[in-house]
Amino acid sequence: MHFIELNHISHNYQDKFVLNDFSVAISPGKTTCLIGPTGCGKTTVLRLVAGLETPSAGTITINYKIVSETGRIIVPPHQRNIGYVFQDLALWPHFTVRENIAFGLKARKEKNIGNRIGELLDLFRISDKTEKYPHQLSGGQKQMVAIARSIALQPEILLMDEPLANIDTHLKQNILEHVMQLQQRLNFTMLYVTHNHREAFQTGDIIVVMNEGKMVLKGTKDEIINSSDRFIKSFLEN
Amino acid sequence: MPAILLTTLVAPLAFLITDWFTQTDKSALFAFLNRTTLLLIGKSLLMAGLSAFFATLAGGLCSFFLHKLSFKWNRFYKIALVMPLLISPYIFAVAWNGGLHLVLGNDASIFSSAGVVLVHSLVFLPLAFIIIGSALSQINATYEEAGLMLVSFKKMLVRIILPLVKPAILISFLLVMIFSLSDFSVPAYFGVQTFTTEIFTQFSALYNFPLAIGQSVLLLTICFAIMFSEAKYLSDSPFFTISLKGNTSKKYSINRGKGFLHLWFWFLLFISLVLPVVLLTIQSSAGNWLIIKKAWQLLEPTFGYSLGLAFTGTVIITLSALWIAYTARVYNSKLPNSLMMIIFVVPSTVSGISLIRFYNHPSLAFVYGSFLIILLAYLGRFGFIASRIIANGLKQIPESLMEAALLAGASPVKIFFSITIPLLIPSLLATFILSFILCWGELGVVIMVYPPGAELMNIKTFTISANAPLALTSTMTLLNLCITCLLIAMFLLTGRVLFKKYSYAFY
Repeated sequence: MHFIELNHISHNYQDKFVLNDFSVAISPGKTTCLIGPTGCGKTTVLRLVAGLETPSAGTITINYKIVSETGRIIVPPHQRNIGYVFQDLALWPHFTVRENIAFGLKARKEKNIGNRIGELLDLFRISDKTEKYPHQLSGGQKQMVAIARSIALQPEILLMDEPLANIDTHLKQNILEHVMQLQQRLNFTMLYVTHNHREAFQTGDIIVVMNEGKMVLKGTKDEIINSSDRFIKSFLEN
Repeated sequence: MPAILLTTLVAPLAFLITDWFTQTDKSALFAFLNRTTLLLIGKSLLMAGLSAFFATLAGGLCSFFLHKLSFKWNRFYKIALVMPLLISPYIFAVAWNGGLHLVLGNDASIFSSAGVVLVHSLVFLPLAFIIIGSALSQINATYEEAGLMLVSFKKMLVRIILPLVKPAILISFLLVMIFSLSDFSVPAYFGVQTFTTEIFTQFSALYNFPLAIGQSVLLLTICFAIMFSEAKYLSDSPFFTISLKGNTSKKYSINRGKGFLHLWFWFLLFISLVLPVVLLTIQSSAGNWLIIKKAWQLLEPTFGYSLGLAFTGTVIITLSALWIAYTARVYNSKLPNSLMMIIFVVPSTVSGISLIRFYNHPSLAFVYGSFLIILLAYLGRFGFIASRIIANGLKQIPESLMEAALLAGASPVKIFFSITIPLLIPSLLATFILSFILCWGELGVVIMVYPPGAELMNIKTFTISANAPLALTSTMTLLNLCITCLLIAMFLLTGRVLFKKYSYAFY
C-alpha cells in the first residue's frame, strides 16, 4: 500500500468533468510531480488530497486511512496534517510575516511558538522581515514566507501548486534547491504541480503526466523522456 | 435569515396583493383602471423616463470623464458629485421650488413638472455615475490596449468600451426610472400630481384603501416589469463595490479640452449643490433670527431620536447584509439576496402601505406602534444595497486565504473573525456610512409608517411645510442640510483614515 492513494476518482465542476476515473498511488518521503497542460486537472488532484474538494466518485487514502470517498469528506482538511502552498501564495495581507507563520501554530495551540517561528525565519533567511506585511516583500520573499508557513506545522505531506510560476528563472532555481534540501531534511511527502516539464524533471522522483482528467503515464524522469506516447512526446516538445 | 425576511418584509407585500385580490367587492378589483389613472400613469412614466434619460446621460458622461481621463481635481469631482445622492431629495425640492417661485412668482407652477424632472435628474445623476463608473473602472486595460492596436480611439470607444458598459447603462436607466417613478416627496413639494402622490393621497388623506391598494399593486407590477429584463444583472450588482488597490483600468491623459471638463463639472456642482444651498439661504433669510430660532426649536427635539434610529437601523442593516452576503458565499444560499432585491425594487409608497396593512393588527401592535416598523422600513429600503457592497467585498477576497486558514487548523468561527472580517473592513465601513446617511435622509416609507410620537427630523420638516411660511420650511431644510453635511464630513474623515489603514491589495 502507498502513502497517498487516489482510487477511481471522478470530479466535476458543475457539468464539466475535470477528473475522470483517475487513479494514482504516491510513495512516502518522495517528491511526485504532476505535469500536464492547463486545465488537465492537476490542481484538482491537490485540492482533493487536501480535502478542499469532495470527490464525485472514488476514494482517497492518506497514511493508510480513507480520508474522502464518493460525495463525502471523512477527515477534514486541518486534520490531514498537510501543508499547502497555493498558486497565489494566499498570504494573509493583514498579517505580518510573523503573524502569517504563527497563525496555524496558535490555532493548534502549539508550545514554544516563538522559538519555532525563529527557526523557520532563519531557515528561510527572512529573519529581518519578521514585522513586514506581504505587500512590503519581494516576490521571492513572499514565496519563502508561504513555504515557511506551510511547513510550520511539520506536515507529513506538502502540496505545492505551481508556486514558482510567476518568478524569474534564477530565483526559481534558488527556491527549488532550497525546497529540495528541505524535503530531504524533513522527509515529508511532496506533491508538486507544474506545467513546466523541466521544473518537474529537476524536482520529482516520480513524474505523473496528466491529460484531460486522466493519467497518461507515471514513471521516473527517464521513463517519461523515453516514452513513445504521442501526447507525451508532443507535450515535451512544446 | 430567509425565514425572517419572508415573514417581516415579503409577507406584507404578499398580504397587499392578497388584500387586493380578495376584496369583497369584485367589481372594484380593477376600478383604478380608468382614463384618469391611465393618463396619470402615462405622465408619471414620461417624467420618470425623462429623469432617467438625463441622469444616465449626464452621469455616463461624468463617469467617462472621471474614470477614463486623468486631469487635475479628478478625485474632488468624484466625491463632490456623489453628494446629492446622500441628501434627501425633498431638500432639493424645497430649494428649487422656492427658487422657481422667487424668480417667476405665480407663473412658477407652469414649470413644476419640469422642476420635478430637473430635481430627479440631479438627485439620481450620482447613481448613474456610480453604476457606469464602476463598470468603466472594471474594464481590464488590456482589452482597450488590444483594441487600440487595431483601430482608432473613437472606434475602440464605440466597439469595445460601450458594449462592455452597456448593461450598466441600461440598469442605471431602469433604476433611476423606478426611483423617480416611486418618489413622492419631490412631486408633492412641487404640487405635481403623479401616480405615486395619487396613491399617497388616496391612502393617507382620503382613506380610500381599496383604491390605494389597487393602484399600489399596479405600480408594483410596473416596477417589477421594468426590472424584469435586467433582474440577473441587478441581482449581482457589480456596481455596488468598494474597489481595492491594484485596479488595472486604463486612463488616458488629455492635452486639449481640460478647460471644458472643469467648466462642465463646476456647472454640474453649481446646479446640484451650490445653487440649492444659495436658494435655501435666500429663502430662509427672508425671515429673521426669530425664524431660525423657531426652526431650531422645532428640530432640536427630533435630533436625538433621528440619530438613534438611523444608528440602530444602520447596525441592523450592516449585520443583516453581512449575514446575507456571507451565507451566499459560504453556503451558496441565493434566496436572501433575491428576496432583498424584490423588496428593494418596491416603491416606497407601496412599501409603506404594505407594512401598514400587514402590521396594523392587534397581535402585531408591538411592531406597528413602535420604532420597529421604521427599522423594518429601513432594512427593506437599503438592505439590498448594503448586502451587495459586502458581497462584492467578499468576492474580492481570494478563496485561498480562507482555505489556507482552514488547512492551518482554524475553526470556521476563527476564520470568520481572524481572516474574513479584517479583510472586509473597507466594505463594512462603506456599508455602515452609506446606510447611515440613507437611513438619516429616508422619507418615502417613514412618512407613511411612523408611529404616533415618533419625531423624526425629515418628517417634522415635511409635515410642517404644508402650513408653515416658506421661510420657516426653508430654514428647517437648511438646518437639516447642514446637519446632514456635517455627518457626511465626519464620516468621510474618520472613514478615510480607517479605510486607508484597513484596505489591502490581494495579489
